[in-house]
Amino acid sequence: MASESISVIKLRDLLLVTVPPDPDDETVSALQEQVLRAMAQHEAKGLVLDISTVQTLDSFFARTVAETVQMVGLMGGRTVLAGMRASVAVTSTQLGLTVGNSLTALNVDRALDLLNAAPSGSRRV
Amino acid sequence: MNENEPHQGEFRITSENDIVMARKVVRDAATTLGFGLTDVTRIVTAASELTRNIYHYAKSGVMHWRVLNSGTENGLELTFEDQGPGIPDIEKAMEPGFSTGKGLGMGLPGSKRLMDELTIESTVGKGTTVVVRKWMRK
Repeated sequence: MASESISVIKLRDLLLVTVPPDPDDETVSALQEQVLRAMAQHEAKGLVLDISTVQTLDSFFARTVAETVQMVGLMGGRTVLAGMRASVAVTSTQLGLTVGNSLTALNVDRALDLLNAAPSGSRRV
Repeated sequence: MNENEPHQGEFRITSENDIVMARKVVRDAATTLGFGLTDVTRIVTAASELTRNIYHYAKSGVMHWRVLNSGTENGLELTFEDQGPGIPDIEKAMEPGFSTGKGLGMGLPGSKRLMDELTIESTVGKGTTVVVRKWMRK
């Protein structure tokens, strides 16, 4: 039930994942599994995590995102975290969170530009 | 400080899903009180960390919230109470990166940065009470 609220859309050789506004821990964990499965299944070269509706980014969520970025990296993909709200950026910085080696973009459009412009292939994670 | 209590409530934490529910309760209370979006996000995020601490370390507990009034400022106070294992070394627990569980060690020190006040009382074997407050100029 939890994972129903996550949509993983394949866009050419990229995956677009829209994170729900206030996901519980189970949904956050399910998101990671779904993303990794879809990466392998679609042979995707990159992932855009659209967090524009996310209201609260706490330490569990941030850790799972950072892990996912790392795992996607090991699978040869690049992750762009797109659309973080200003209030969430302020809060997560003060809380002391990091989201690993994720690229970031103001919105999904720019995230797609970033991944399409960047050379594909391996990347240090 | 002349505090009265026009609004208050409590929320019982017994399952993982209650972390999300506690966030909703706190978001509503903080928004109703008139906090701006960034402060609401700070308060809700701290509540998320402290509720998760209860769920992970004590399995169950209670969150109380109440509105504070100091004369020149309104505030929101959240109290997180559990009868869990307690914290042996509170100073250590407040160090960023320190965790006895599988967490990041961000919850307590991070919550202190997000809120205006944070106090912890804990007795090993009896339980822990964490009180946080956020103030807002009237």
